[in-house]
Amino acid sequence: MNLELRDVHHVYAAGTPFAVEALRGVSLGVEPGEVLGIIGGTGSGKSTLVRHMNLLLVPSSGGVLVDSVDATTLKKSELRRRVGLVFQFPEAALFAPSVEEDVAFAPSRLGLDEEEVEERVRESLRVLGAEDLATRSPFALSGGEKRRVAIAGVLAMGPEVLILDEPTAGLDPATRERLLALIRHLRDAGISVVIVSHDLDEVAEVADRVCALHDGRVRAIGTPAEVFYGNPELAPATVRVASLLKASRPELGDPVRFDETLAALKALPGK
Amino acid sequence: MTSLGQFYPVASPVHGLDPRAKIVATAVLVAGLFLVDSTVGLLFVAVTLMILVALSRIPIRNFLRLLRPVLFIVALTVAFQVFFSREGAIVIEWGFLEVHTGGLWLALFLALRILLLVSAAGLLTATTAPVALADGIEDLLSPLKRVGFPAHEVAMMMTIALRFIPTLGEEAEKIKGAQAARGADFSEGGPLRRARSLVPVLVPLTVGAFRRADELAEAMESRGYRGGEGRTRYRELRFRRKDALALSVTVFILLVGVLL
Repeated sequence: MNLELRDVHHVYAAGTPFAVEALRGVSLGVEPGEVLGIIGGTGSGKSTLVRHMNLLLVPSSGGVLVDSVDATTLKKSELRRRVGLVFQFPEAALFAPSVEEDVAFAPSRLGLDEEEVEERVRESLRVLGAEDLATRSPFALSGGEKRRVAIAGVLAMGPEVLILDEPTAGLDPATRERLLALIRHLRDAGISVVIVSHDLDEVAEVADRVCALHDGRVRAIGTPAEVFYGNPELAPATVRVASLLKASRPELGDPVRFDETLAALKALPGK
Repeated sequence: MTSLGQFYPVASPVHGLDPRAKIVATAVLVAGLFLVDSTVGLLFVAVTLMILVALSRIPIRNFLRLLRPVLFIVALTVAFQVFFSREGAIVIEWGFLEVHTGGLWLALFLALRILLLVSAAGLLTATTAPVALADGIEDLLSPLKRVGFPAHEVAMMMTIALRFIPTLGEEAEKIKGAQAARGADFSEGGPLRRARSLVPVLVPLTVGAFRRADELAEAMESRGYRGGEGRTRYRELRFRRKDALALSVTVFILLVGVLL
């Protein structure tokens, strides 16, 4: 599906002395089957922005369009099934006595029959490599296991767009690598993924497009090469190294991913 | 935003009083209101309380909002007195319902009393920062330390509880959002279904609160906290002449109210 935000503004506590304008006119689209990375400092409006994508927050002005249809006219439950949102630290919302019951929470609300729900629980736990945790209590798991189970709980709804708000924050490198592999896997299955992150290296690895937010506005949007080479102060280590070398070696090109950069550096003739 | 008992931070003569003076004055007022047995007396106390509110520089609209949560109780009390009291002359007769003058007076009297009780307590919490309030309570309870009452610990518990109300509220909002994203609906169905729909919010909220409590205890101990003994304060409370004056004025107002 095609998800589009048009000139979205959001004011928290509007009409009170505590009013804060968190979004000041954001327009961007999520294309079918792409991975969109959203970067920006704390307080830049990233989390507020993604909460608009399934209308957990309603824009103060501007609109959210799903396949060119105003999202407010869709049934809320339907919209939230199609646009799966995984909060920051999603493990804080685990509640059921066992992992499989927790993952079944969302699909069993969709009116599916029991077999279908079970199938979905099994499948999403499998995709996250957590099938062996199914009968455990979610409260007895490690941080990385909890995170994977919580993401499975959203994936089990079968969303067409999956939004991950800082999914790798506080994770060990192995679990982080696993989540990045999941994102690529989902994209290959035709699901769009929006990933909010502070980690530029990880955004560089998986994103097809990058959107940089600053102070509630889109500061830059485009392919990782465009955004990172256009704003070196926002760029990951690979791009910073490459752009320094490029001054004397223009044939280096615009590599962004680690492998690309390594290959480009190796291909350099001479010394 | 402002709800019952929320601190309203402005500078005013009432805010500047020693919290102990305000706590004792409020306690005296709340207990004493039950001794005032005439409507005129209550009206007198009400007028002086209004003057205090004006002195506290809390916008009157915000202060009236404090009273909103008790309006239901007031309305219920009034309805009971108006319809079920059979004293004095009949004012209206409508089927089996009779409204007597005695009932009307009693309703007015009780409504005033409830509103005054809540206003007095509300004025205390609206003009006293939670930390100052806890310090004041600790000081007032400290004579009980001699018989083994943990005054400091009780005050610390109150401070922490007050401090974490907004944090837990925020946490609850986040969890509600996360469950809503998983298809939970908190506004559909009857009361029973709605109560059940809160389980996915209350369980993680409780688990989180316990985890937070552990972390806070460890953080406090890492910073050398070891209970009240020998502990000094950043802000020392000083009972000044104006505090004694405020307390005497309160007692005086109450006496006049009782006599009227």
